[in-house]
Amino acid sequence: MLAQLFKRTFLAATPLVYSVLISALCIALLSCDSRQSQQAGAVIRLGISSAPVTLDPLQATDAVSSRIIRLIYQTLVEFGKDDRPIPGIASWQQLSLRHYRFTLIKKSVFHHGKPLTARDVKATYEAVLDKKTGSPQRNLLNHIERIEVPDDKTIDFYLSRNDPMFPAFLTIGIVPEDLLRQGHAFNNQPVGSGPFEFSRWPYDTELYLRRRSDAQEFELLTVKDPTIRVLKLLRGELDIIQNNLPPEHIRYLKQQAQIKFLSHSGSNYSYLGFNLQDKITSNLALRKAIAHALDKQKIIYYALGNAAHNARGFFPETHWLGADLKAWDYNPQKALKIMRALGYSEQNRLHLSYKTSSDPFRIRIATIIQSQLKKVWIDVDIRSYDWGTFYGDIKKGKFQLYSLTWVGIRTADIFRYVFHSHSLPPAGANRGRLSDKIVDQLIEQAETEADLNRQAVLYRRLQKYLNTLLAYIPLWYEDNIVFYRQNITGYQLSSDGNYDGLINTIRVSNRSTIKDKTE
Amino acid sequence: MSGYILCRIFSALIVIFGVVFIVFMLIHMVPGDPVEVMLGESASSVDREMLRQTLGLDKPLTEQFYQYLYKLSQFDLGTSLHSKQPVSELLVERIPPTVELTLAALLVAFLMAFPLGILAALKKDRWQDTTAMTFSLLGISIPNFLMGPLLILLFSIMLGWFPVSGRDGLISLVLPALTLGTALAAILSRMIRASLLEVLNEDYIRTARAKGLGTARVIGLHALKNAMLPVVTLIGLQIGALLAGAVITEMVFSWPGLGQLTIESIQKRDYPVVQACILLISTTYVIINTLTDIVYGVLDPRIRLSR
Repeated sequence: MLAQLFKRTFLAATPLVYSVLISALCIALLSCDSRQSQQAGAVIRLGISSAPVTLDPLQATDAVSSRIIRLIYQTLVEFGKDDRPIPGIASWQQLSLRHYRFTLIKKSVFHHGKPLTARDVKATYEAVLDKKTGSPQRNLLNHIERIEVPDDKTIDFYLSRNDPMFPAFLTIGIVPEDLLRQGHAFNNQPVGSGPFEFSRWPYDTELYLRRRSDAQEFELLTVKDPTIRVLKLLRGELDIIQNNLPPEHIRYLKQQAQIKFLSHSGSNYSYLGFNLQDKITSNLALRKAIAHALDKQKIIYYALGNAAHNARGFFPETHWLGADLKAWDYNPQKALKIMRALGYSEQNRLHLSYKTSSDPFRIRIATIIQSQLKKVWIDVDIRSYDWGTFYGDIKKGKFQLYSLTWVGIRTADIFRYVFHSHSLPPAGANRGRLSDKIVDQLIEQAETEADLNRQAVLYRRLQKYLNTLLAYIPLWYEDNIVFYRQNITGYQLSSDGNYDGLINTIRVSNRSTIKDKTE
Repeated sequence: MSGYILCRIFSALIVIFGVVFIVFMLIHMVPGDPVEVMLGESASSVDREMLRQTLGLDKPLTEQFYQYLYKLSQFDLGTSLHSKQPVSELLVERIPPTVELTLAALLVAFLMAFPLGILAALKKDRWQDTTAMTFSLLGISIPNFLMGPLLILLFSIMLGWFPVSGRDGLISLVLPALTLGTALAAILSRMIRASLLEVLNEDYIRTARAKGLGTARVIGLHALKNAMLPVVTLIGLQIGALLAGAVITEMVFSWPGLGQLTIESIQKRDYPVVQACILLISTTYVIINTLTDIVYGVLDPRIRLSR
């Protein structure tokens, strides 16, 4: 047998071709059992760039998990177009400064058949407040003194301090009380009352959900590499991909006839941060020079494929707390003038280090910023690290410059969290170590203001003051952009890039999908 | 012989212990805190400390290592800090795809390397040799992160034969196996060529030819058998390398294997999962190499005598 094999090998006229043929033969044999052909067209596939960590609404912190959790669970409160809190499954009344009454306005049934009642809401929030749960949300809600349930539809929240923004924090998915008591593993077997129910999760990169209204199955497939995600969309292995694409991919996909796209201005805020305890970057004049040296419009056009909007502060102007802030316009001459006044020149250049993650896109942005600052006599040393190391360094204050993005920020508590002098990591995210009495006072004043409109005025004043301090240089809000195949309709985008669009997404015809895949 | 085998097994155990120790220390020393990654920044310091205590991360490193070893001795790999699933369950999910890919890549490598290596040796310094060795050089030179997308462009997008990525039936195994197998085929074919060339000049080959045996019989029955020793060693080493080194291929093809799990766990600082993945990969590596050594000793008694 062996001898025959070798004999054939050596006698073959073109052994090179032979080896390729054998490989192809084996491949063809192996291919007989493909599952894909059986399933083509049945499932609508959404390509995502990272896998969800958990499907437990009490534990989730990452954006992907939170977006999927929104599909499976319902929340008491949602956000309107201007990011004001609006009723979700409950409306509310403020009965006193520290007493909120929520009334369930929507009949809902959990996926395991039990109706959602006020007791489930109480159990959910009590679990969040329970130290043993270890919920990352506990800190935001620890001013809840007690929760009472007068009847099946009413929940009373009693607070230990005034908080006019309290409803905005009640956005945690409601879990069923009975399963919660049993210690159910919501992290990988979620049971909610939302429009989608959990189907299966064979690998952490492949999650299947079923839409309750029509039993349409959806797969959320993690494909980290953006190029592969694009290729899969083109070949019909994915139906929808959203965000996290480099500009060249965006431009390429826009030119493809079989692909449609939608874009929506986003609210995720990218910024350039400074270490305000560093002897160089603590200088306000230098920060102003850097702000004037950055040509953000060019970066947005070339590096972000024009899929972003210039940012002036944490909140876009469409946000109900958005303020009319002064723009730090691109003015290299002004930047050079400041640098000269600071004692720098072409010969005596300033050296700064800039930390970023190892994400290729972030390194690309860092390189452009490096190039722009070079023109104003600032030599930037880019240091990229894996996420854990980078994040650890930023929190410890081991940096001069860095860039990050705040995702899903909707409430004004962010100002205490990021700029109050008591919020130094790990107590908060004052990574730049800003310590300013006026900032602290404005934050505290706004927090204790009982009237929402007066509170908004104070927060706008705070934003204007922060803009003069340049603790952050606002960069941009990245747009949300979705690409989908022609036979998909109904998908809609939102400003925070959630996946709620799947609720109305349908495939026009399964037959056309199978045809697409075989073409 | 039994002394030799025992000696090899003892060395293997020492290596595995060394790996466990080094990996444990390194993963705990790199910057980045799993508690921060898990809770995010909004959690209070009390909650952080509680979680740190729950996970046992507040204890001294030596005590953590001792507990880890104790659990390991009971085959308890711990629980993932993030998904809260037992690590053994995660590994059981990920091992089949990785083994599948490794075996398929080996198959591809054998199918390419043997004909190419033998052809190159038989047609030394002729165009067939040059072509085969150029192919081999390309196979070694093109990194997997380039080879993968190139194959996808050709076979998935242009020809439409195979899926772009994912683990969806055996057809989806083809491109990752080709990507991973080509580099191995390149190395193997060079090794086969070199070994064969050495053996082909031996007296017993001349004798076999003088007896009137055909080329196929001479190569198949006499030359190849003796040329296989270094090739067997290389294959042993490469299986371990395939298991550990499929990371890039798994990332490109979204293949849910051990490599992807390892990288994701490192990024999340999921210590138990990282430790278990590296332990599994290194143990496999060590076992295969120990077996290779033992087989080598059986095939060539001079080796075990010299040790």
